[in-house]
Amino acid sequence: MIETIQRAGRRAFSLIEHAFDAAFGPRINPLYHLGALSFFFFWVVAASGIYVYVFFETSIDGAYRSVEYLTHAQWYVGGVARSLHRYASDAMVISVLLHLAREFVLDRYRGVRWYAWLTGVILLWFLYASGIGGYWLVWDRLAQYIALVTSEWLDWLPIFAEPIARNFLNSASVNDRFFSLLVFMHIGIPLFLLLGMWIHILRISRAKTNPPRLIMIGTSLALAALSLVYPALSQGPADLDTLVSRVQPDWFYLAMYPLIDLWSPGAVWALAGGGTLLLMLLPWLPRRREEPAAVVDLANCNGCGRCFADCPYSAVILQPRRDGLPFESQAVVEPDLCTACGICVGACPTATPFRRVSDPVPGIDMPSLTTRDIRARILAATASLTGKDRVMVFGCRSGPDLASLREPGIATLALPCVGALPPSFIDFVISRRHADGVLLAGCVAGDCYQRLGVEWTEQRLAGQRDPYLRRRVPRERLATAWVGPSGATTLAREIAAFRARLRAMGPYRRGPAPPPAAPASHPPEDRDVSYRVG
Amino acid sequence: MSLIEWDEKYSVGVAAVDHEHRELIGLVNEAHERLMRPGAVEAVMDFLGEIFARISAHFALEEQIMRARNYDRYDEHKTDHERLLDEIRDMMDDYEDGELFSEALLAQQLKTWFAGHFRSHDARLHRNLD
Repeated sequence: MIETIQRAGRRAFSLIEHAFDAAFGPRINPLYHLGALSFFFFWVVAASGIYVYVFFETSIDGAYRSVEYLTHAQWYVGGVARSLHRYASDAMVISVLLHLAREFVLDRYRGVRWYAWLTGVILLWFLYASGIGGYWLVWDRLAQYIALVTSEWLDWLPIFAEPIARNFLNSASVNDRFFSLLVFMHIGIPLFLLLGMWIHILRISRAKTNPPRLIMIGTSLALAALSLVYPALSQGPADLDTLVSRVQPDWFYLAMYPLIDLWSPGAVWALAGGGTLLLMLLPWLPRRREEPAAVVDLANCNGCGRCFADCPYSAVILQPRRDGLPFESQAVVEPDLCTACGICVGACPTATPFRRVSDPVPGIDMPSLTTRDIRARILAATASLTGKDRVMVFGCRSGPDLASLREPGIATLALPCVGALPPSFIDFVISRRHADGVLLAGCVAGDCYQRLGVEWTEQRLAGQRDPYLRRRVPRERLATAWVGPSGATTLAREIAAFRARLRAMGPYRRGPAPPPAAPASHPPEDRDVSYRVG
Repeated sequence: MSLIEWDEKYSVGVAAVDHEHRELIGLVNEAHERLMRPGAVEAVMDFLGEIFARISAHFALEEQIMRARNYDRYDEHKTDHERLLDEIRDMMDDYEDGELFSEALLAQQLKTWFAGHFRSHDARLHRNLD
């Protein structure tokens, strides 16, 4: 059942994603940055909110008047700020819900990732509470409607001594101090939302909380244009002595409101509460068993910290050395956080196929596919290849299906993630002539299933991230195809083109050593290698 | 006789780095010894592969220490590490491909390769990390 929904969802997302890929290219495809976009919208809402707050009057009479002043008299700044505040909030609901749906259909919510999912679901309540409080403050007819319906809804819970809906029965019962409380809540709840957003990303390393600059610029321009063309407007002053009969609710936040009237507050509580509970339990329905976690071999670990720097899930930490060797630290894996992506092995300097002494165990390794296994499987897969265009394809389990590539001249190996391949394996395949070329296939760039595998791989190949791919490896014998799980056709095409190029090149011959690299300014390591006690 | 002898002047004053330097010297010496014995082609390849892995790890650690201490010549030292890794890989390929190869040449190369790094960069590192 869940898998059917996921499959259908994947198809739907994939259609939209391809359209965006075609329009913008995968690197600035907003669908690959929904979480970061939500952060961005939060900041837009916060900044515009601060401006609106400067002019906002916290009183029954002043609230509506001051917002009207902003919208009409000061339309060029205040009006735009109000509209940005409104539209960015709406946009945040869209990006958050899409983010939730997308992580669900891509199966990135179970196993080790349950934590981000659970905290994210709880955040939905904070998001809605933040937004609905804002509609209330404008104190127009929509606000009056929201005030009444919300209090009816809350009154259903047996927590208030007397019904709070009574406050909104006539104008005499609403006072200015109540507005101060509302403002206080409209600042306080979003602050809790922000705190929750921080908690939401705690367990992953290098969380992307800023979308790429081009997305920020494009989104800002779109929001600004929308604010100027369709400014957010109030719906007439609230008047508690009349009954609100017609309002135009903002469906992004208020979709449930008509149901409170239509059904009953209790039914909507059941729907919202039950829905939340179901979402919260989803990671365990059923639970996913991750492959066995990475294992550290202290005899081969000097605590260099590369695995720690590259782990996308903060599952590898450095702790003070405990085996008596004169190293400061050692890598330690927290199995509860490990998705068995193998990116740590791809970073380990001792994970190399050139090692042959006794038992070449690297400092960190994946029990399900060890470095030795990878070496053995490369040798087995390439042994029968013939011709001048032999290709070794390394793929990942979340990328294109490699099984369809079975044809003479192509050897394949599926890794948990393409980032699990230490670059020296590429050197090994080409320099030892196990194949004429190496092709790396994986998730769409910018949307790696294991978060950082594609990014780290590209940086390792470019000599920007350790371990570097040796400069001697002829780059024309190396190709990448970041095509994603639905890109099998594209992959086949790229392999065919790559093989044609290899045929034209002829067999690999070692050329002269490339000129020494100028000591280019090294990109600063943005993750401090320091102790974390886990 | 050993190809390279550990000398206190090689010490960079960081226990972990010195420890690995000593281990590497042991490994290079062992490889050299094997090299001098007849019919040990496979064994030498194994040793070279092991030296490559060990030196890679060693450089990774040195780089981490340099970064942590904001060593001012980090970029040059890192470039030199990459060059040295390239060179030992070249030696391995030479050996494997059987081109232009002689035991004496490899021994000489190993010695020059290893000592070169000590003399230039690690010596300066020593003076600057104190």
